Amino acid sequence: MASRDRLGTVSAFFREHPRLRTLAIAGPPAAILVVFFALPLVAMLVVSFQTGQIGGAWTLENYRGFVGSETYLTVVWRTLLLSAQVTVIVAAIGYALAYSIVRFSRRTTLLLLLVILPFWTSYIIRMYAWINILQSGGVLDSLLGLVGLPAVGLLYTETAVLIGFTYVWLPLAVLPFYASLSSLDPDLIEASKDLGAGPIRTFVSVTLPLTATGVITGLVLVFIPTFGSFITPRLLGGTNNIMIGMVIENQFKSAFNWPFGAAIGMVISAVVVVLLVLATRLGGDLLGDGGEPS
Amino acid sequence: MSGRRTISRAIERFVHSHAGQLAGIVMIAVLGFLWLPIGVLVFMSFADGGVLSFPPDQLTLRWYGVFLENEAARSAIVTTLTISVPSTIITVTLATMTAYAVDRYGFRGRGTLQLLSTLPVVVPLVVTGVALVLFLDGTLGLPDYLSVVLAHVIRTIPFATLVILPTFVRFDRGLEEASKDLGADELATFRQVTLPNVFPGVVAGGLLAFTLSFNEFVYTYFVKGSGDPTLPVYIWNQIRYNVTPEVNVISVVFLVVAVTLVLVAVSLTRVELLTKR
Repeated sequence: MASRDRLGTVSAFFREHPRLRTLAIAGPPAAILVVFFALPLVAMLVVSFQTGQIGGAWTLENYRGFVGSETYLTVVWRTLLLSAQVTVIVAAIGYALAYSIVRFSRRTTLLLLLVILPFWTSYIIRMYAWINILQSGGVLDSLLGLVGLPAVGLLYTETAVLIGFTYVWLPLAVLPFYASLSSLDPDLIEASKDLGAGPIRTFVSVTLPLTATGVITGLVLVFIPTFGSFITPRLLGGTNNIMIGMVIENQFKSAFNWPFGAAIGMVISAVVVVLLVLATRLGGDLLGDGGEPS
Repeated sequence: MSGRRTISRAIERFVHSHAGQLAGIVMIAVLGFLWLPIGVLVFMSFADGGVLSFPPDQLTLRWYGVFLENEAARSAIVTTLTISVPSTIITVTLATMTAYAVDRYGFRGRGTLQLLSTLPVVVPLVVTGVALVLFLDGTLGLPDYLSVVLAHVIRTIPFATLVILPTFVRFDRGLEEASKDLGADELATFRQVTLPNVFPGVVAGGLLAFTLSFNEFVYTYFVKGSGDPTLPVYIWNQIRYNVTPEVNVISVVFLVVAVTLVLVAVSLTRVELLTKR
């Protein structure tokens, strides 16, 4: 009973001080996110300007070392190209799937579940599955052998990396594509066809432009994590397909040059920020949360 | 010119009359692509040789036995749970508070709070992972366990909020007004009226947060020192240095955990909720 009285007092107090009440409810999650998410990112920025170790003297050396190295610039370029390729492949396949589900299937819930379930299983496990499929003498080679084709042994090639990324990001792109396609008014498509446009013409001049928001969201959602990835190239790409994320991993796991790793982290962040600004300008809804617009 | 036009007409007509079949082919091909690797894993876990071969060799439960007797794998599961359970509880509490505040109150910083709780999904994992180890470990010098739990909280908050916030938004606030008109204060109203109504959404958010935390690799890999590995870190080491057939069994464990929890979560809310970002 005493505790109930105390709770009553708390309630009364907050009724009289609505701003404190808001602070008591919104404050803890805000504090956690600021201290353990925003501040670490600031710390990374600070450390990237220090020499050798945390708390070292101020320097631009980490950035100079990065920009001045042809090896690292090549890695960044390769990472950009690969991410762009992955994004285009995933967008094409993902859009075709989302479109098929929305326009031609009644079992939408089941199909969506089949798309998202693989996404919720361990990323590493999914890569491991592809190691088994792509390695020389693996599942793919055995299947090719059964139909009399020569083995390809794709593991540790760029193709393997592309397949791996396509596999993990497909669900991520299908979801925003599905969301914008399912909110598209089917009457608009019918109207276009009534006016004499064929299905392809209708798609290019009606469907695609009207789902641009979802498309842009999906593109960025695929590009960003690909650009920062190290697991897929490490497990499927071997040593010939170094991506920028692997260079960071290296700084923290074997070279132990944290400030240099932090500087590369900032380089990736810069790319991400540019993309987010660009996407938001173009009408993407990346930071939307499914709630009411504020 | 007219020849090309005829061809494009012909293509349009073909697509028009075969649209359903084309869509069917796309769905079967892409879903096959998504599920085939998972089928391969499940199959391998039962294969006697521990690898997939054609024709398939004998099926066995041997590797499941080996897995159950593997001290390292068992302790990795325990380590994972001692991190995932508390971080899920913290995440659900924080996400519910965020959802309540954002849905009910207009306040300065409301947009910022929403942005902050979504942002961890957008920032590449490796970037946040690096930032977390620099700050939690390097600057604050927090103990390993605490750092990892906090990292998991940051990783899971966006997903939990994403599921919990819409259930608050959908909830009919007339019921709360009625409760308050009948004399209940805000806290009692929350406990007796609001919470029971949004509870399925909160549980769904928690299940997804737990699934994510159970699978979490990148943050853990950066933040956690060399002590007891979590299951994803354990399996990473196995894959990189010495694959043993139990890895296949562990894959199936991951699969069962994820599929079960996500299916329960989906049954508690709507699958569409998971399609929103």
